[in-house]
Amino acid sequence: MSGWGKYVIAAIGVAILAHIAIIFATPRVLMNVAITRISSIAGFNAWQLSDRVTAASRAIIRPSPDFAYSACVYDLADGPVVISAAPWEPYWSLSLYAANTDNFFVIDDREARYGAEITLVERGRPHPEGASMVIESPSKRGIALIRRLAPSPDTYNGAAQVARQDVCASVAQLTR
Amino acid sequence: MLRRILAWAGTVLIGLLLGAVSAWATLRVGSASFAESYGGWSYNRAAGSTAAGPYTRAIIAKEGLLALSSREAVYFFLNRDENGRPLDESCVYELNGRPFDARWWSVTLYADDGFLAQNSDNAASIDASRVGNAAPWRARIAPVQGNAPFWLSSRSARRSFSLMLRVYNPQDDFRPSEESLPVLSTVSCTEAR
Repeated sequence: MSGWGKYVIAAIGVAILAHIAIIFATPRVLMNVAITRISSIAGFNAWQLSDRVTAASRAIIRPSPDFAYSACVYDLADGPVVISAAPWEPYWSLSLYAANTDNFFVIDDREARYGAEITLVERGRPHPEGASMVIESPSKRGIALIRRLAPSPDTYNGAAQVARQDVCASVAQLTR
Repeated sequence: MLRRILAWAGTVLIGLLLGAVSAWATLRVGSASFAESYGGWSYNRAAGSTAAGPYTRAIIAKEGLLALSSREAVYFFLNRDENGRPLDESCVYELNGRPFDARWWSVTLYADDGFLAQNSDNAASIDASRVGNAAPWRARIAPVQGNAPFWLSSRSARRSFSLMLRVYNPQDDFRPSEESLPVLSTVSCTEAR
């Protein structure tokens, strides 16, 4: 091939590769930003209760002002992590997000009326003995999120009290 | 030789630029192509799902990070009026809805940057716990409440604001349709748009 043809074909090839790389990288990059923002306040394997969502809330795009959010950045580098959510009426849910943003697990008050406790392990790793509900995470790090329906300042304050009972800690931390 | 090196460097640079621009354009304007549409509301069944494809995953990450999978909640997005014009703070709208086959729902107004509008009206959202989920309802979308019982404040939301409808714990047979989703209509606009 001679002339400009080879350059045009090469440019198109690079463009396709760059396009695919950006599309695949975007979720991980945005998730990493969220992980960095949350863990910069609470660290890893610790719940962080967000302030009531207002116009000043800028951490995560499109937050709902009707929920009290608690977030924990989990890190399975030191082994399994225990995550528990205290119950709340009229609605609560615990959801887990992998590093690529996938919501790979969710449980709510319909399935766990009295709250939930799970042990999170990295996919393919052995399950701890005695753990009642073991969930495998596709990634070493991710985000656990509890949503409690709390549309008013009063209900938010109530949810904030309940959130103090939530646990997010590595098994190593808990047995130390 | 130098000319050839410069030509290849330019080729790679142009390729990278084209790739970046096409990816940006896909994420910026491509959401509609990867979603279903019902009466102006767009809906992506794969949001949050482990089965989501790379484009859906990237668009959802940009538009609504930490979305729940459709088993727990479904999300609908509206940013145009009934005539296809961007939603605008200078207009007054009415939103008419019906009960949902679900446990709870809410409609939240976001400014063009995807965050709550910079006002202190405490009227960024209406939800089933206030409006109810047993009878048709009507809400006003405007910078001031007027005499409307239910109000979403668009004060300081500027042009191109959006609405997000969240439907939690939908019934197993919940199927979105134009008839089941709230209908937006423009009441008036005060300035030349």
